Amino acid sequence: MSRKLVVVFLTMLVLVGAMGLKTAVVAHSDGSLIMAQGGAPQPPIPWKQGGAPQPPIPWKQGGAPQPPIPWK
Amino acid sequence: MLGPYEYAVWLICSLLEVAVLVCAFKKDALRRYLFLNVNTAASLVISIARYNILSHYGFTSKEYLYFYFYSDALLTITLYFALVSLYSLVFAELKAARYVRLGTVVLLSGTALFSYAVVQQSSAKLVTHFVVELSQNLYFVGLVLTYVLWAAVLKMRETRMRLIQLILSMGVYFSLFAANFAMQNLYHMRGSFFEYLTPLFGCFLPMSWAYTFWRVPEEARLAPSRLAVVPR
Repeated sequence: MSRKLVVVFLTMLVLVGAMGLKTAVVAHSDGSLIMAQGGAPQPPIPWKQGGAPQPPIPWKQGGAPQPPIPWK
Repeated sequence: MLGPYEYAVWLICSLLEVAVLVCAFKKDALRRYLFLNVNTAASLVISIARYNILSHYGFTSKEYLYFYFYSDALLTITLYFALVSLYSLVFAELKAARYVRLGTVVLLSGTALFSYAVVQQSSAKLVTHFVVELSQNLYFVGLVLTYVLWAAVLKMRETRMRLIQLILSMGVYFSLFAANFAMQNLYHMRGSFFEYLTPLFGCFLPMSWAYTFWRVPEEARLAPSRLAVVPR
C-alpha cells in the first residue's frame, strides 16, 4: 500500500475517532456549544434545545414577514 | 447581561494575546511558529471587532451572534492549522511535509463534508449551521490530533522542550473544553459555575504560549528519559 493511501486511511481513522468522541460527549446535550475562542462572552444560542420552549429563531426566513424579535 | 467579570476576563485574555505576540517577536519565534502567531493575532483582531459589535449592537443582537459564530469558525480553522504546523515541526526530520499537507487537506475536507452531511437536511439557514457544526467538529478533530501528536512525540523521543510545551498546552486546552462541555451536558449544570469557568479556559492557551516563548529557549532540550520509557 502506498504511503499516500496510508495517510488517507489514518486521517479517516482520526475523523471517525473524533466524530465518535463528539457523539459520545453530546449524547446528553442540551444544545450548548463548545466554542469559546478568546475571552469574548458567548452570545445566547437561538437553536438551543432544552426543557424551556425555544425562542423564535431570528434567521428563519419565509414568505411571511418576520415577526419582531423580542430581544432586539 | 454582561458584568465586570466577563469584561475583565475578556480584557485579560486579549492582553495575554498581545503578550504572546510580543514574546514571540522578542524571542525570535515569530516565523518559526508562524501559524501559532497567526492564530493569536487573528484572535486579538477578532476580539477587538467583537467588542466593537457588542458595544454598537448589544449582547443579544443578531449582529453579535452571527459575527461571534462565524469568527469562531475562522479561529478554529486557524487553530487547526497551528496544530498541523506542530506536526510539521515534529516530523520535519522524517521529510514528511508532503504527507502532513496531504493529511491536513484530507482531514479538513472530510470534516467539512461530514458537517455538511449533518446539517444539510435539517437546517433552514444552511451556511450558518454549517459554520457552527464545522467549528464544533474541528474542536474534536483537534483534540484527537493533539493526542496522536503526543503519542508520536513519546514514540520518537522528541527532546525540543519548547515544542513539547506547545503541544502539551494544546492538549490541555482541548481537553479542558471537552471535559467542561461533557460535564455541562452530563449534569446540566448550566448557570453559575460553568458560565464563570468557561471564559477562563480561553485564556489558558495565550497564557501558556506567552510563558513558553518567554521562558523556554528554542535550544532547550529535555532528557528523553524524562518523557517516558517507550520499549522499542
